Amino acid sequence: MKLKTLIFKIILIFFLGLIPIGVYANNRDSTFSFKATLLLPDYVKLQYAGGIGFISPGLGYTFLKHRLDITLFYGYIPSFLSSDDLHSISLQFTGKIFKFSLKKDIDVLPLNIGFFLHHNFGEEYWVTLPSHYPENYYWWSPGRMGGIFIGGEIRTKLLAHYTPASGLAFYFRVGSRGLYLTSAWDNSEIQFTDILELGFGIALYR
Amino acid sequence: MRKFIYTLFIFILILQSCDDIFDYSPYQVDFEERNMNEKNISKIVSSTDLGDTLKIAFTGDSHRFYDEWVSFVNTVNKEDDIDFIIHIGDFTDYGLPIQYEWGYNIMAELEKPYLVAIGNHDLVANGPECYNLMFGAFNFSFIIGEIKFIFLNTNSREYAFNGKVPDLGWYENELIPDSTFNKAIIVAHVSPSDADFDSKLKDEFREITLKYNNVLTYIHGHTHHFEIYNIDNFDIDFINIYGVEHMKATILKITSNGYEAENIDI
Repeated sequence: MKLKTLIFKIILIFFLGLIPIGVYANNRDSTFSFKATLLLPDYVKLQYAGGIGFISPGLGYTFLKHRLDITLFYGYIPSFLSSDDLHSISLQFTGKIFKFSLKKDIDVLPLNIGFFLHHNFGEEYWVTLPSHYPENYYWWSPGRMGGIFIGGEIRTKLLAHYTPASGLAFYFRVGSRGLYLTSAWDNSEIQFTDILELGFGIALYR
Repeated sequence: MRKFIYTLFIFILILQSCDDIFDYSPYQVDFEERNMNEKNISKIVSSTDLGDTLKIAFTGDSHRFYDEWVSFVNTVNKEDDIDFIIHIGDFTDYGLPIQYEWGYNIMAELEKPYLVAIGNHDLVANGPECYNLMFGAFNFSFIIGEIKFIFLNTNSREYAFNGKVPDLGWYENELIPDSTFNKAIIVAHVSPSDADFDSKLKDEFREITLKYNNVLTYIHGHTHHFEIYNIDNFDIDFINIYGVEHMKATILKITSNGYEAENIDI
């Protein structure tokens, strides 16, 4: 228990450490080469909940003039929250439909939609059906799931004036995943709220 | 830096308390309900209304048939004299913790105690951990009157037919006659005639079952239909229980002389 908590802290600090690296890499005076800056992520995120981990650090790139984000999250659940600790990664694709300026330095993105793939690590979370089962014995993969979400974002220039970061964004998301949706399908007994995954987070852009 | 760590720590504590609204993982297991089988066995055993005839309501293979499952609970609550209820396994469909919780919430509406056998679907992913916390041991037994109920994990395929499931050593030990019981009833998810039962263990399983001449019947699910049948060289009756989606439940009346099975609409 203690060791696992320690590992969790180390991992958290490691990913928090990525934030200043990402920020300073954008500084013109930095010693990073052009190629290295090109490969550096456009932002780092820290997401709470949303079904992909407790507090999940992530990094990613923006495409199509900030209209599409692709983020890779590492999700960890320490054993004080579950019967055993859990490790997973998820790839989240977020499309940003609308954007308007609320006032100087504050942009509102009221409708973000997206989907995600979630991969759980561990022998019991297999992706391809193990060989001791006949074909199609189970139709789903406990190790890899997919889901959809909808959310919103507020993008600010916080930290932009006194650090090399270009801005800080706050976002929330509410989604569900295939295995939850199929469970609720055709069942009045399962409440819609039971299958929702709520989450929120911050994104620091370089 | 220390201030930052303290703030972070407090922040984490606050977030941790939001656990109910926010999901962290489909595999997060944080059940409040624990060891239900053991708790319900003590209710059944200590119950004073147990007459000469035991009346047990069976369902199983509920998977994602939640609405049908609720009908089962409502119907059984209206039935007279039910002593307890047995779910024959496949309590969940994907073995997900949330499905364990949904099933628990449905069964919690039962007015009489219930027991849950482990099914193959309940063993997918971290299902074994979930069942173990919520219901307890995979193999267990208890005695009412002179009848011993033996719940046996027969989901051999989930263990890649490793030769350890069903646990024949435990099984034989349970059947060895003593003064506490006369007859035994086996409750399991998979029938020995099924391809999901370890074929290497089938002969030995049959020998043990017949060895002490005290097994009354073997009740199982997995194939979703109702049937009372025999398997070659097994001199006992096998009872296959309806999957709940058929909107039928099986009521078993057991006396010291034998049993009587009746299906009711739910």
